[in-house]
Amino acid sequence: MATIKIPEQKVILCGEYGVGKSSLFRRFTNDTFVTATDRKSTLGLDHYAKTYRVSDRDLKLQLWDTGGMERVASITSSYYKFAEAAILVFALDNPASFHVLSQHLLDIVTYAENAKIFLCGNKSDLLDDVPQITDAEIEAFCEQCHNLITGTYKTSCKNGQGIDEMFSDIAYQLVQSNRSRLELQSMEQHGFKITPTEETAEDSCLC
Amino acid sequence: MDEEYDAIVLGTGLKECILSGMLSVSGKKVLHVDRNKYYGGESASICPLEELFTKFGAPAPDDSYGRGRDWNVDLIPKFLMANGQLVKLLIHTGVTRYLEFKSVEGSYVYKGGKISKVPVDQKEALASDLMGMFEKRRFRNFLIYVQDFQQDDPKTWKDFDPSTADMQALYDKFGLDKNTQDFTGHALALFRDDEYLKRPAIDTIKRIKLYSDSLARYGKSPYLYPMYGLGELPQGFARLSAIYGGTYMLDKPIDEIVVGEGGKVVGVRSGDEVAKCKQVYCDPTYVPDRVRKKGRVVRCICLMDHPISNTRDALSTQIIIPQKQVGRNSDIYVSLVSYTHQVAAKGWFIAMVSTTVETDNPENEIKPGLELLGPVRQKFISVSDYYEPTDEGLQSQIFISQSYDATTHFETTCLDVLDIFKRGTGEEFDFSKIKHELGDEEQ
Repeated sequence: MATIKIPEQKVILCGEYGVGKSSLFRRFTNDTFVTATDRKSTLGLDHYAKTYRVSDRDLKLQLWDTGGMERVASITSSYYKFAEAAILVFALDNPASFHVLSQHLLDIVTYAENAKIFLCGNKSDLLDDVPQITDAEIEAFCEQCHNLITGTYKTSCKNGQGIDEMFSDIAYQLVQSNRSRLELQSMEQHGFKITPTEETAEDSCLC
Repeated sequence: MDEEYDAIVLGTGLKECILSGMLSVSGKKVLHVDRNKYYGGESASICPLEELFTKFGAPAPDDSYGRGRDWNVDLIPKFLMANGQLVKLLIHTGVTRYLEFKSVEGSYVYKGGKISKVPVDQKEALASDLMGMFEKRRFRNFLIYVQDFQQDDPKTWKDFDPSTADMQALYDKFGLDKNTQDFTGHALALFRDDEYLKRPAIDTIKRIKLYSDSLARYGKSPYLYPMYGLGELPQGFARLSAIYGGTYMLDKPIDEIVVGEGGKVVGVRSGDEVAKCKQVYCDPTYVPDRVRKKGRVVRCICLMDHPISNTRDALSTQIIIPQKQVGRNSDIYVSLVSYTHQVAAKGWFIAMVSTTVETDNPENEIKPGLELLGPVRQKFISVSDYYEPTDEGLQSQIFISQSYDATTHFETTCLDVLDIFKRGTGEEFDFSKIKHELGDEEQ
């Protein structure tokens, strides 16, 4: 009972089907990459937690993938619940996936009100000399969003570039902004998770 | 959509989502479709509040209701028994990781025009105002008997065979009066009517044990309620299905369930598209010609800015009005949840009164429940038919769930789901098929 629990923060992946969310997820969980879309490799995988050390504190990033729900249907609103951060992913070689981001942003703001939002341009390895989406466009997008975007990154799941940097920075940003909140967390009105063991009941006596 | 699936599931209500999850986990290729553009069907929680008002044709809510988005209003009131079937399903499937719960603060029973706390252990029994002094001692003895009872140890049966003797005989053995029988059968064993008295006592004993085991888990009451409303439950199971490969389609009208040789299902048609399949699992609304009406349920959603009196200002509670107390054949249920569950704006409460319809004036039938609430700011009444399938689906391979009944917990819901799964696959669900090594965040 006396063990110190490392604070865990739910981070969700958002964006169009095919921009590489599951590839980011796969890089995060076991640092691998597969070219063909192979559902089997993430089948049954729900979310994955990894510990980051930020200025002498530990923080666990718990990354969630969509499970492909966005392919034809929409993602359930409960996917967004309790999220502390959301990564908006688009593919740098696919302008359409960039231009629909505002829709995904709206979902995040609606269902995960308190989440910090990060922007990730994936597939940077496919960039030719003439970028499909310019830095200026990305900057303009962030401005339009009234600075809702906390950080922007470019990654390649294929060669692994920028991935570690992105997650480390997200961990850093979360620690910075949540410093006081993490400490207060225990005092907030929270529900509990039900677990198989018997001694889980959280004591919240009102007397 | 033009593909071939092992199973197509129609409707994203809780039962269909649990089934979809179990089928995907079992390695079946599943297509899950809903005609609505939201998840949950009848088991959705309506958000924002404006949508609820529109649904019932009421003028838009004024500013006093706070932000519409802070509301998630259930259409069907239910709680989870902390040690019940649904909690077991949630744990075994890992779906519990998507949800957070709160314990329901109080469980009350109505007697002679007022409400009392449901006594469940010996101490509470002795302090209860429901019984006289001598009756309390008899009830206490009864509770001890039930607690010590072990089905596999006849010594604990105390010269009473609960598999043959009926429940009335057990009450008589302990000399319990009608009043005590009333709250035991309805508030502890959660029977809706008095049919159980004539059935073997074992069933009632098990139900009382479930109640007290559930109570032992989180205190205060045997009930749990999920943060953000019951609509989170179907969504959790839908995600389970999706991460095991299930395909989801919303906002897709279903025009025909295509049947082939021998009346066996071969696919589902939407417009010009046909998805082929070996089996269909669905709720009654997708197959009106394969279900029959079993009865009607009346439900009244009440938005209030105060808790229910005489419940010690509980922010969540359940009150059971046993049938006999108000001269009926089935119980009236009152449930209350509030802003602490993220289902209402700060300071607001949602009460729900429901019962099985017995007369031509259902609204009048729930009056005893409404009278307990005090002033209600907004009331929405609905009467819905509930259906059961006309056959078991073995021939057609179309497996149909029953509509949600008036009970205030999910026990019957889960039994229906497990039964359908068994009929559809010919085997019990194998929980060991779920991966737990990854994503298990509990410490």
